[in-house]
Amino acid sequence: MKYLPLLFLAGCLGDIDPEWQLDHTRIIAVRATPPHIPAGATSQLDLLTAAKGATTAQLAPDATIVVSPMSLASAVSGSTITAPSEDQLAAARTELGLMPGVPVPLQLGVASGSLAATKIVWLGDAVDNPVLTNVVIGGAAAPAAGAMITVPPDTDVHMSVDADDSVMLVDWLTSCGTMHDFDLHASYIHVETDDPQTGELALLLRDPRTGGVTWEVWPIAAQ
Amino acid sequence: MLGLLVGADAFAQPADEPTPAPTEPAPDEAAPAKLIEVTGRVIDKLGRPIRGAKVSYEGSDQTATSDKGGRFRIKAPLGVTVTVEKDGMEVGLANVVGPTIDEVVLLELDTTGEKIEISGEAPVEAPGAAVIDRSELQRVPGTGGDVVKALSAMPGVVNQQLPLGYSGVVIRGSSPQDSKVLVDDFEIPVLFHNIGFRAILPAESIETLEYIPGGFDVGYGRASSGIIQLTTRPGDDKATEQAEISVIDGGLLVQGRAGKTRYMFGFRRSLIDLILPSIIPASVDLSLTTVPSYYDEQFRIDHQLDAHWALTLSSVGTIDTFELYATKDTDAKTKRFFNRTAFARLTAAAKYHEGPWSVNLALSGLLPQFIFEIGEFQKIDVTQPTVTPRAEVIHTDKEALGLKNVEWKLGAEAQVGRSSLELALPHEQREGENMGAYDPRDVTETFKGHYWLPDFAQWGSIAANLDDRIRFTGGLRLDEMERNEKLAIQPRGKLEVKVTPTVIARLTAGAFRRPPEYQSEGLYSTLDFERSTQTILGLQYEPREGTRVQASAYYTDRSNLVVTEADGSLGNDGRGRTVGAELLATYRGGPWFGWLSYSYSHSTRVDHPGDPERLFTYDQPHSLNAALSWKHGKWQLGARFQLYSGLPYTPVKAAVFDSDRNLYIPIYDETNSARAPLHHQLDIRIDRSWKLGAVDLTWFLDVQNVYMNESVVGYFYGYDYTQSAAFKSLPIIPSIGVRGVL
Repeated sequence: MKYLPLLFLAGCLGDIDPEWQLDHTRIIAVRATPPHIPAGATSQLDLLTAAKGATTAQLAPDATIVVSPMSLASAVSGSTITAPSEDQLAAARTELGLMPGVPVPLQLGVASGSLAATKIVWLGDAVDNPVLTNVVIGGAAAPAAGAMITVPPDTDVHMSVDADDSVMLVDWLTSCGTMHDFDLHASYIHVETDDPQTGELALLLRDPRTGGVTWEVWPIAAQ
Repeated sequence: MLGLLVGADAFAQPADEPTPAPTEPAPDEAAPAKLIEVTGRVIDKLGRPIRGAKVSYEGSDQTATSDKGGRFRIKAPLGVTVTVEKDGMEVGLANVVGPTIDEVVLLELDTTGEKIEISGEAPVEAPGAAVIDRSELQRVPGTGGDVVKALSAMPGVVNQQLPLGYSGVVIRGSSPQDSKVLVDDFEIPVLFHNIGFRAILPAESIETLEYIPGGFDVGYGRASSGIIQLTTRPGDDKATEQAEISVIDGGLLVQGRAGKTRYMFGFRRSLIDLILPSIIPASVDLSLTTVPSYYDEQFRIDHQLDAHWALTLSSVGTIDTFELYATKDTDAKTKRFFNRTAFARLTAAAKYHEGPWSVNLALSGLLPQFIFEIGEFQKIDVTQPTVTPRAEVIHTDKEALGLKNVEWKLGAEAQVGRSSLELALPHEQREGENMGAYDPRDVTETFKGHYWLPDFAQWGSIAANLDDRIRFTGGLRLDEMERNEKLAIQPRGKLEVKVTPTVIARLTAGAFRRPPEYQSEGLYSTLDFERSTQTILGLQYEPREGTRVQASAYYTDRSNLVVTEADGSLGNDGRGRTVGAELLATYRGGPWFGWLSYSYSHSTRVDHPGDPERLFTYDQPHSLNAALSWKHGKWQLGARFQLYSGLPYTPVKAAVFDSDRNLYIPIYDETNSARAPLHHQLDIRIDRSWKLGAVDLTWFLDVQNVYMNESVVGYFYGYDYTQSAAFKSLPIIPSIGVRGVL
């Protein structure tokens, strides 16, 4: 912990891909829609993945298993989660030592190819994923998902989304240029001449209180 | 702590020489006594021979002068007291009880107001211990003139390119908190600054550095490994004002004497903060809202009240501050880092000496503060004002209980602190534990409140000659943690055998305890003392003037080590052991100062019963230091070669992505199952002095790692642990500065 500022000062991050780099194979996010479901309701899982030298993909997981509690293992079928009955939820609360009425965390293991992730779907109440609002890129409202974004090269292009950084988790990711303040609601991208001039821009918004997540991905080019 | 002064012949009186019977009349009451030829040696407190000291005794015109080896020969009757005098030194006395008076220790007039009375044993040394003074510390290349950096040249001290933490010294395979750094006998909480890796005490304000890697006296406590004792510099007879400036910092020091009072005032301020903003590239997402900076203060006032009482008031203090944002947006509180580390210690001491009695009284107060804030959620803010009164009484007898040269020592101290703590941090990573995923919102450890830490200690020891060549010291120390209701009983013993006139063998064994009051340990009132049992065998060989070779081997068994239990709390389930050997050879002669140290060490831990044995995180099997310095006229040149093993680390095998927290959970290989490679480097130092009017000027150039060997210090991983990069040692580090003395 002590040396964290020193690493910043020394710029000792070597050739390691920064967290905002989209050109890096990984699972970016696992989304449950919705993240909280009442008894008997269903939630659908999907993933946002990135791959080195390729574009992002939004797809269903190859495999999903229940990690905890195992008494609710039957809640998973493919990429669909079905909340069990109230009686089963009550038994699960007892098993986990939870107070009556509180949502039950169903911890899942999710696989996509050789990549793995964990995700919690909450059973026993209803909460939706957050919504991206007021996304501004380069002074203009962000286009629809999938529409090309063009930014000028060698220029700081500012971007923002409505979010409280102390509550929400924001990620601005790109495979074009350099992202600054990628984990703040207000960020900026700078594409220099020796950077890749085309790629993708992704914006993710997570609510750590609910486990909700949402994202948008755009193609981006510097011109 | 080591008692007042003294220094004499611990090994006098060979068994085959006649011993004056107690009933034998004193020489001055009888007919002229038979003269015998008496030999001895005059040394300074660092063990260096003193040439040209005049030896005489009352009522006779017999005199002698010590040679370049400090040795003298004089004819004197048994029972007489010889006087040893040397310009610039305190007068030394020694009783003639046989044909040999080996070592008469003379203190410099400007080192203390204490008198030297020769009636006890020689200065206590543990096997492997060493003392170096300011001028020698400043001659060690590669330290940039920094006193505490010179510690890395000591055998048994783990060496690496970066300091290991605020206390920063790992001795003989122990954690940094297991050893204590004392300034004028009292512990300081911080040794290094945040930036520049500088010690909080400039070399100019230090008189000596005493390094005791283990087997220390019962007067020292609260440590289970070693002791580093820094003694502040008393004022000289000649008053001076001096200034020193380098790219890292600049300082002023005023010292001198006014009547019976000596004074020293020092102040230092960092300068690197003035240039740091200009060397950080504009493209870096960083805002230094408070540029890292530090201020240091030291003062010492000595007053000789009368022939028996000497008073000292001294203080050291420091304050380090920085605030930065890992962004250019200073409204982004989640990216903020703030630190303030400060302390001030004030110590008042009174020393009394008359005849066989010596008394040391001291009252010391410490006011520390440590604040670290990370982002919006994590912080630690702790203050722990502490008061420590201490008293120690020493009595010496030429004979008692049928033993000779007996020294009795009794002491007691109380250390009472009140900690005010506000804590909101992730679980503390202890030695041997792997770092988890960094979550800036993780505040698993939270506490806000106050608690008292009243600790008490008593100790007593007796030292005596068993015969002319063997001296034994036995002692017992009791430490009590009132809050935890724990008592530590620590018997310690030392046997010294003068094998030949040039070889001394020492064997020490004993129990050493550290109270569990380091960082989050203070939150647990159920913890017991950490324990170590040390056994050390050492040989000291002085073949010629200025040459000393010390070799030692040791075994340390550790138990009750504080570790994290399965439920996340702290317990005393850890065990460990260290085995090692050290060699230290020093040469001080004419313009030359040479230093060769090598240490071998193997240190392991078992965290919980049944767990496999693992390497200690700071296990460093090999460490070699060879330094040579040459002084001629206005020039001083020095070089130092270092070669040492890399430290162990734990590789990451894989990681699992936690999608909800947006972080990766690392899966580690076996703890400390890999090791960073060997490191070696060459450092050089050049000093040149000249006179400018009334000002004595010295400039120095200290260059570390001149052939730019970039060894791997360790490895760090990317956010998802699929990529890693080597954290390499710093390349060539030049340090230039100038000192002026008026």
